[in-house]
Amino acid sequence: MLRFISRRLGISILIVVLAVSLMFGMIHMIPGDPTSVILGPRATPELRAEMNQRMGLDKPLAVQLGHFLGKVARGDLGEDPFSRRPVAEIVFEQLPFTLMLVFTAIGAATLLGVPLGCFSAIRRGSWLDRVSAVMSVAFIAIPSFVVALYALLLLSVRWRWFPAIGAGESGDIADQVHHLVLPAIALGLGWVGYIARLVRSSMLEVMEENHVRTARAFGLPEHVVIGRYALRIAILPTVTILGLGIGTMLSGALFAEIVFSRPGIGKLLHEAVMTRNYPVVMGSVLVTTVFFVVSTLVSDILNAILDPRLRGAGDQR
Amino acid sequence: MIKNPTFNAPFVNRRDFLTQTTLASLGMMAASLPGTAWSIDGDVLRIRTYSDVKSLDPARMLSGSEGLMANAMFLNLVQFRPGDSWEWDLDAAEHFEQLDETHYAFRLRPGIQFTNGFGEMTAEDVKYSLERIVDPAMKSPNAGDMGSLSHVEVTGRYSGVLVLHSPYAAFIPIGLCASTGGIQSKKALESVGGEFAIEPPACSGPYRFVSWQAQRKTILERNPEWPGPPAAFREIHIHPLTDVKAGELAYEAGALECTQTSIESVEVFRQEMPPASRLNVISSLRYYWVGMNLEHPKLADIRVRQAVQYGIDVEAVIEAAWFGLATPATGIIAPGLIGHREKADVPLAGDREKARRLLAEAGVELPLKLTLSLPAQALEMTAGQVIQWSLAKIGIELDLDPQDNATLITMGMESAGDRWKDVQLHLQSFYMLGDPYYATEWFIGEQVGVWNWERFRSQEFDDLHHLAMGLNDNGERDRIYQHMQHLMEQSGCYRFLAHSVESLLSRTWLQPAYRADGYPMYRGFKLSGPDQV
Repeated sequence: MLRFISRRLGISILIVVLAVSLMFGMIHMIPGDPTSVILGPRATPELRAEMNQRMGLDKPLAVQLGHFLGKVARGDLGEDPFSRRPVAEIVFEQLPFTLMLVFTAIGAATLLGVPLGCFSAIRRGSWLDRVSAVMSVAFIAIPSFVVALYALLLLSVRWRWFPAIGAGESGDIADQVHHLVLPAIALGLGWVGYIARLVRSSMLEVMEENHVRTARAFGLPEHVVIGRYALRIAILPTVTILGLGIGTMLSGALFAEIVFSRPGIGKLLHEAVMTRNYPVVMGSVLVTTVFFVVSTLVSDILNAILDPRLRGAGDQR
Repeated sequence: MIKNPTFNAPFVNRRDFLTQTTLASLGMMAASLPGTAWSIDGDVLRIRTYSDVKSLDPARMLSGSEGLMANAMFLNLVQFRPGDSWEWDLDAAEHFEQLDETHYAFRLRPGIQFTNGFGEMTAEDVKYSLERIVDPAMKSPNAGDMGSLSHVEVTGRYSGVLVLHSPYAAFIPIGLCASTGGIQSKKALESVGGEFAIEPPACSGPYRFVSWQAQRKTILERNPEWPGPPAAFREIHIHPLTDVKAGELAYEAGALECTQTSIESVEVFRQEMPPASRLNVISSLRYYWVGMNLEHPKLADIRVRQAVQYGIDVEAVIEAAWFGLATPATGIIAPGLIGHREKADVPLAGDREKARRLLAEAGVELPLKLTLSLPAQALEMTAGQVIQWSLAKIGIELDLDPQDNATLITMGMESAGDRWKDVQLHLQSFYMLGDPYYATEWFIGEQVGVWNWERFRSQEFDDLHHLAMGLNDNGERDRIYQHMQHLMEQSGCYRFLAHSVESLLSRTWLQPAYRADGYPMYRGFKLSGPDQV
């Protein structure tokens, strides 16, 4: 298991370095001069030159990338040229809002999707299965931004049941939860359908397998057969998908943060790209990439725990 | 008999648990319904701004939203008067006069206190605050606002003289009235190393800084040490909402008391105004024009540029993009300011016959293909499409090249590579302050390849710009600036489009205060009297 984890960890670090280097090159290729945005129209050419130097923009791209990676290795993400605050401070200030949104959305989607999928598989062909299928496909088919806009217009603007902007007052958990409901629905609704369909098809497959038939033959109660023998195997693809889903949701969080004017890393990144704030862009990209890679790693490890055959898969080749 | 050991304990069975959690959930929902936690607190004013705070230090602040907050927290010597005109009032000064072309005397009102125990405002604070902006060591991007300020002579505890190197007619409106002129406490700034980013070490205005939460809100509160009439609101919550539509929705959802609206929403709100709301549409100083790069081979012949000028129907552009609300531009200087022209040289609707004739005289093979670069925003895209339609009528095929702002603003800059050579037509808008100097300075020869993307060069224009900057005779300045816009138009490089409008939605119980260009002045916001509601 330890070898499995260390091998996956090595690959994860490589992915982070590659993704960040690629992003570094891309952001510098976009036309636009950060110093003009940062210093405004009345800055003198000398001030612009000095700002370029301070941001390291006067050096070749490879040197800039080397400096950036070197600083990252020392735990320094640089400084925001606008506010002169450390980028790490800015990014980690926003990260909890996005994580809270993503985990609430994925958590709620799992809590609803897994039982829905199980139920559909157990009651295969029933009218409830059909209703569940229609609902699941509908949830998947409706784009998340449409859900977000309608939720905002109906539940916030028209009926005023939920707040339209912000993330709630600091320290007031009820207020924060209240502010989280609509963005989490917008972000997670499609995943309810997706998880339900995935669990249903896996369950149908697993329930035909010998070990499930054997368990039934031993006279074990049906809930034990389903919960302990069928679902444990059928959940494996879902766990893998959830790992990737967290990454997808990180990017999906951007529109939820913009539509609901929530703070978060997506909104921060969007504004940083628009103002060519390279240090904040890179800091945000780095943190989200690490987060995505870690979530994939955790799902791999969970898979390996749930299915011991996966632990040695690499060694057998 | 074995007694169940949990029987008398405070045991919660499944039924109790479900009942209690359901009741608790309902309770939480009820608490969140409008009318309880969401009721409007008249003491708190919630406003939208278009961007988050990056710096509130007058030496560093760049965006208008930072200036809005500064205006509520810091006093200037003099300050624009809210209303339709560009007149100014005394602010921290109880006396202010221009002694000659380069000397301005002031005397502060005694008793103005800085917050956080930094004591009374004195002439030393004025000297420190203004001199630090122009100090080369400070490297302030706002140093240009102070023009030719040399130094401040302190003549008494409350009095002093501002000394300029050379005459600078825009010193009061641009240097002193704008946010760069906010007076800081010398002691307070020195205690934090000479500058600050977000949290001011001391405030002196009717409101003081409380907190800033990145991307969430900035909170100001009534300053108890303010010697004037108490500020109208206990707190002001300023929400940074980049998207103007998000501000409109937040207003309709009851989360804001005042917000800017988009131009296209004006008619919608006029038809169906949210309850207890009012809409103010105010002329802005933002001016729009189509610029032509005279060094591009396709536009090198002045007759081609003039054909474009005469081919664009400005009336149609304003009707489509601004729903008829904007004022047609006769130049770059808005109505109400020194130098505004009553009429442009090229008729508003253009003259297609003349445009076709000019193209024929230039020997251009039709259709002539040109590209118009413009911001990828709804308003500009609509304007671009009407211009495309206008020019098609005279045989010019126009491609629209929408770009995001950060890409567009460097397009004509020589420092950003060779892209300036490809610029043909561009639809652009600049904002200005209440003096024509702020408008013309971007079009002088020194700005070619910086902000002057038309690459328009005129020695006469440059000379007049420098001359007008040092004149105190407003009549003479008016004549000069009008002539300068005539020179711009005669070069064929510019087709002036519109002076835009600001549209602001607010509750009827709120009496907002605006500068002449629709820029909100928070410190002047009040609760309406019963007769005004």
